[in-house]
Amino acid sequence: MSDVATATTALMDFRPYAHWIMLLPMIGFLLELLIGKYTWRKGGMFATLSILGSVIISYGCLYNVYVQHLGFWEYSWDWFYPGIVAGFTIDPLSLAMLCMVSFISFFIHFYAIGYMSHDCAKNVYFAETALFTGSMFGLVLSNNLLQLFIFWEMVGVCSYLLIGFWWHKPEAAAAGKKAWMSCAVGDCLFLLGIAMMYTIMVKQGITSEIISFNNIFQNLEHLSHETIFGMSALTIICILFMCGVLGKSAGFPLHVWIPDAMEGPTTVSALIHAATMVTAGVYLIARAFPIFLAAPNALMIVAFMGAFTALYASTLGLVVNDLKRIFAYSTISQLGYMIAILGCGAVLGVAAVAYALFHLVAHAFFKALLFLSSGSVLHGIGNVRDIKEMGGLLKGMPWTGYAMLAGALALIAFPFTAGYYSKDRIIEDAYIYATHGGDLGYLVWVFLVLGVILTATYTFRAWYLAMTGEPRSYPAIRPHECGFWMKTTLVVLSVFALGLGIMTGGGAKFWHFLEETFVHETHTATGVYPGLDLHEIGLLGGNSLMAHGAHPPQWVIYLPLLLMIAGLAIATTVYYKNRIDVSKYVKKDNPLYQILWNKYYLDYLFKDIIAEKIIMTVFTFWDVLDRYVIDGVVNLLSWITIQSGQVSRKLQTGVVQNYATAVIFGVSMLMILVIMFRGGL
Amino acid sequence: MGLITILLLVLLAGAILSLLTKTTAQARGVALVSSFGALAISILMYLMYDANFNTVTHYAFEESGTWMPSIGIGYHVGVDGISLPMVILATIVCALCTVFSWTESKRPNQFFALLLLMDLTLIGVFVSLDFFMFYVFWELTLLPMFFLIGIWGGPRKDYSAIKFLIYTHIASVLMMLGIFALYYFHGASTGIYTFDIPTLVNAYKDGILPISQFWLDFIFVTIMFGFMVKMPSVPFHTWLPDAHVEAPTIGSIILAGVLLKMGGYGLFRVLLPMMGVASTWFIYLIALFGLVSILYSPFAALAQKDLKKLVAFSSIGHMGFISLGVAASVLAGMDPARVVAHTGAMFQMFSHGIITCVLFGCCGVIEHHTHTRIIDDLGGLTKKMPKLAILMVAGFFASLGLPLCSGFVAEFGILSGSYHTIPIFIILAAINIPFTAGYHLWAVQRTMFGPYNEYLGDVKEIKWFEFLPLAVWVIIFVILGIYPEPIIGMMQTTAEYFLLSGDILPIGGIHVPAGGAFPW
Repeated sequence: MSDVATATTALMDFRPYAHWIMLLPMIGFLLELLIGKYTWRKGGMFATLSILGSVIISYGCLYNVYVQHLGFWEYSWDWFYPGIVAGFTIDPLSLAMLCMVSFISFFIHFYAIGYMSHDCAKNVYFAETALFTGSMFGLVLSNNLLQLFIFWEMVGVCSYLLIGFWWHKPEAAAAGKKAWMSCAVGDCLFLLGIAMMYTIMVKQGITSEIISFNNIFQNLEHLSHETIFGMSALTIICILFMCGVLGKSAGFPLHVWIPDAMEGPTTVSALIHAATMVTAGVYLIARAFPIFLAAPNALMIVAFMGAFTALYASTLGLVVNDLKRIFAYSTISQLGYMIAILGCGAVLGVAAVAYALFHLVAHAFFKALLFLSSGSVLHGIGNVRDIKEMGGLLKGMPWTGYAMLAGALALIAFPFTAGYYSKDRIIEDAYIYATHGGDLGYLVWVFLVLGVILTATYTFRAWYLAMTGEPRSYPAIRPHECGFWMKTTLVVLSVFALGLGIMTGGGAKFWHFLEETFVHETHTATGVYPGLDLHEIGLLGGNSLMAHGAHPPQWVIYLPLLLMIAGLAIATTVYYKNRIDVSKYVKKDNPLYQILWNKYYLDYLFKDIIAEKIIMTVFTFWDVLDRYVIDGVVNLLSWITIQSGQVSRKLQTGVVQNYATAVIFGVSMLMILVIMFRGGL
Repeated sequence: MGLITILLLVLLAGAILSLLTKTTAQARGVALVSSFGALAISILMYLMYDANFNTVTHYAFEESGTWMPSIGIGYHVGVDGISLPMVILATIVCALCTVFSWTESKRPNQFFALLLLMDLTLIGVFVSLDFFMFYVFWELTLLPMFFLIGIWGGPRKDYSAIKFLIYTHIASVLMMLGIFALYYFHGASTGIYTFDIPTLVNAYKDGILPISQFWLDFIFVTIMFGFMVKMPSVPFHTWLPDAHVEAPTIGSIILAGVLLKMGGYGLFRVLLPMMGVASTWFIYLIALFGLVSILYSPFAALAQKDLKKLVAFSSIGHMGFISLGVAASVLAGMDPARVVAHTGAMFQMFSHGIITCVLFGCCGVIEHHTHTRIIDDLGGLTKKMPKLAILMVAGFFASLGLPLCSGFVAEFGILSGSYHTIPIFIILAAINIPFTAGYHLWAVQRTMFGPYNEYLGDVKEIKWFEFLPLAVWVIIFVILGIYPEPIIGMMQTTAEYFLLSGDILPIGGIHVPAGGAFPW
C-alpha cells in the first residue's frame, strides 16, 4: 500500500519536469511559425494549447511545494563554458511568478483568439507571443545569472518584434527600436555586472555553478570583502544590476520606451508591457535579494529609484489623453512601488520580497484587465485611443465598462479589492522602514503616499471620460461589445482583480509562503543548499533587519485610504459631475502643464539632444575621419609611390592580370631571399 | 595520403575541371560536387577528431614530408582545435556559396573555378604547419578574391581590387620579412634551416635564438602587422569597406566570413607562443587594437548610407573582440577565466564567420532584387519579401549579440573571462554594446519596416537558392547559440593546452613587470 502511495507521490512530482514549462511554449512557437497558418482559425491553437500545458505543470509544482511540502528543488546541466550551467529552480519566488505568468498568458492568448481574428499574420503573432511566454518562463526558472540574462534579452527581442508587429506603421517600427535601445543601455551594464560577478566568484576558487544564485548566496561572506576600484564589489555589481532593472522595469530615467510601446497590439501591451515582461526587473531584484542585502547602500538606491519613479510617473498619467498610455504610466508607477518596497528590505528582510511579489501578482491581474478592457474599447470603436473622443461607452459596452471599473478599483486600492491588500501593505511597511532607521526613510514613504492620490485621480479621469457622459465622436456613438473569447477573459480577470486579496486571506497566505524563500533549504540532485541567515547577510552590508514584526500607528494605516478617497473625489467632481472646468489650467501657457505635457522634456533630451545632435555629430565626424584622415594616409602613400615611380610607370599596363604577377613575384622573392641567405646553393 | 591532402586535391581537381566546362549548369555541377565533397571530408575529419589529440600529438591528421629539403621547405599539414573549426567554416561557407550562385551566367566556368580555388587556398592557410606553405597559401588567397572583385564587381571595382591587393600585399610582405628573419636566425644558431612552424615558433619561445630583444620584437611586430591588416584592425581597415562595396555578394561572404579569419587564426597559431618572449606591451597593443576596433565600428557604421558598407564595419567591430580576448587571456590571472576568454575568442571566429554570411547574403539578395543598396532608397521590404525579413532580422539580431545565437556565447566568454586582466578595456567594450545595437536596429527599421517604398516597383520574393543557404546559416548559428558544445568543446581543449600546459605560454600566464606595460 505504501508502495502505491510512494509511486503516486513520485508520479505527482512535477518539479523535475519544470523545464517543460519553458519548452512547451517554445515548441508551440515552432509549430505556429511553420504550420500554424494551415490550422484552426489560421493560427493560435498551438500557442494556446502549449501554454495550457505550462499552466498544468506550473500549478502541479505549486501543489507539490505548497500543499505536499515536498521542498524546494533545483537542478542543472552543464552548458557551454566550464561552470556555466542551464539550471531550473522551483521555490516560492519562482512559483509565484510561474503561476501568475502562465495563468495570465493563457487567458491573454484566449482573448487574442478573438481580438486578432481579423489579422492576416495571425500565426506570426501567436508564434511570437508563445516564444515570449516560453522565454519568460525561462527567465523565471533560471537558477543562474547568465541564463536569466539570456532570457531577459529574449523577452526583450519578443517585445521588440511585437511592438513592431504592425511593421508598416512607421511609429510602431520606431517604438520597437526605442524599446530595445532603452533596454540595451541598462542591459549592457547588467551584462558587465554579471562579468564582474563571474570574476569575483572565480577568484574565490569556485569552479562549478559559478554564477548560480544559490552558490553566490552561500559565498556572500567572502564576496563582501572584494573591492572594485576601491569600492565594495557587491555594491557596484548591484548598481549595475539596477541599471538593467531600470531599463526592463521602466524605472526613471529609462522608462521612456513604455508609452511608445503602446503602438503594438493591445494584447501585447497587456501581456508584455503590463503583466509579465516589465516585472522581470522586479523579479531580478527579488531573486538576487540576498546579494543586494549584503551590498552596502545598494538597497537605499533601489528604494529611492523605485519611490521616485512611482511618484514621477503618476504625475505624467494626469495629462495624457491616450487611454493606453494612461495605463502605461500607471504601470511605470506601480512597478516603482514594487521596486521601492524591495529597497525597504534593508529593514524588513525577506518580507519585503513577499510584499513586492504580492503586489506584482495583483498588479498583473488588474493591469492586464485594464489593458484588455481598453483593447475591447479600441476594438469596439474602431481604434480610437483618445479619451477626449470617447464618452458614454458604458451603455454600449457594459461588460467592457464594468470590467474596466473592476480593474480601476483594484488599481486605486479600493477596499477589499486585490490592490487594497497589496498596495496599502507596501505603504504601511515603507513607514515602518522609515521609523526603523532606513536610509532616506520618510522620503520614500512620502513619495509613495503622494502617488496614491494621483493614481486615484488619473485612473478615474480615464474611466469617467471614456465610459460616462455623452459620446464626443462619431465612432463612440455606436460601440459594439466584444465577443465570447474576449468577454470570458474579462470576467475571469475581473474576478481575480477584485477577489485575489480575499482569496489569499488578505494576502497573508501568500506572504507566509513567500517568506520561506531563501530562508529554507533548497535540494539539488547532489546535495542541499542550506537556508540563509538573512540577519547575518544584512550585517555584511550594514543593514540591521528588524527582529520582530512592527505595527504602524492607526493614522498611517488609514492615510492611504483617505488619500485614495480624496483622489477619487477630485476625479468625480471634475470629470463626472463637471463641477470644475479644468480647461482654465489645461492650456499651453500654463508652465506646469507644459512640463507635464512634454514629459519633463526627457524624450526631448534623449532623442533630440543626445541621439540626434550629439551622436549624429560624432558619427558624421567619424565618417570624415575614416574617409579623409585614415584612408587619406593610405591614398597619400599610394600617391607618393606612384609619383616616385614615374619612371617605372611604363611597366604598369593597367591590365588587371599583370597585378597578379606581383603576387607571384612576391612569392618568388621569398624563395630567392631564402636561397641567398641560406648560401651554398 | 591523409584526409587533408585529399581535401585539398578534391578542390584543386574541381577548380581545374570547372574551368574546362562550357555552361553554367556544367560548371555549377562540378563546383557542387567538389565543394560538397570538401564539406563531407571536413565533417568526416570532425567526426574522427579526438578532442584529446592535444595531449598526445598536438596535431590531428598530421602529414609531414619533404618538399624542397635543400632550403628546409616541407609539406607539413595538420589540424587542432582551432584550425579544424576554421576548415569546417571554410567548407560550409564555400559549399553554400556555390548554391547561392546557382544562376551565375557571367563567365560561369571561371567563376566557379575561382570559388573552389578560394576554398582551397583558405583551407591551405588553416592547415599549413610550414611557414613557406602558409605564406604561399596566404598570398594565393588574394588571387581569386582579386579576380572575383575585378571581374564580377561593381562600378569602382578596379580601384577596390587594386587597393585590396596592394594593401594586404604590403602587409604580407612585411610579414614575410618577419618570417624570414625568424628562419634566418634559427638557421644561423642551430644550423638547421627549416620553415616548420612549430619548430621555429618553439625556438623563438624557448629563447634559443641568439638575438637581441630588438630583433625579437622586430619579428613579432612585422608578423603582427600582417595579421592586423588582414583582420582588419583599425586603423588598417580602410581596404575592407571598399573591397566589400565593389565585391560581388559571394566575394563579400567569403571575404568577411572566412578570409578575415586568417588574421585571427594567425594570432593563435603564430603570435600566441611568441607573446611570452616579445615585449609585454605588445599584448596591450593587441588589446588596444581590439578595443579601438570595437569602439570605432558602430560610429563609422552609423554614418553609412550603403547597407553593405554598414555590414562591413560591423565585421571590424566583431573581429576586434578576438584580439581583445586573445590579449586578455595570455596575461597572468585566474586560469579558469583565462580559458573562458580564450575559448570565447576562438569561438568568435567561427561564430562571426557564420553570422556575417547571413548579413552579406541579405545585402546581396536586396541588391539583386531591388537594384539598390542605399538604405534611404529602401523601406518596408517586409511587404514584398517576408521570408527575407525573417532571415534578415535573425541575422541582424545575431550580429548585435542576441543570446541564443552563437555570437553571444563568444562575446560573453570574452567579456567575462577578460574582466580580471584588463578591466578598463572590458568596461569600455561593454558600454559600446548599445551603439552596436543602435546601428543594427536602425538599419533594419529603415530597410525592412515602415511603409513600402513604391519607387522600387514590383520586387519579387527571395528565390529558393538564395533562401536555402541563408536559412542553413541561420539554423547553424541558432543551434550553436543554444548548444555550442560541438564546436566549443574542441576549442576549449585546445585553449587549455595553449594556456595551461606550459608548452605554448608560461604556466600561469604572462606577468607584466612593473612599468613594462602601458600606463593604463
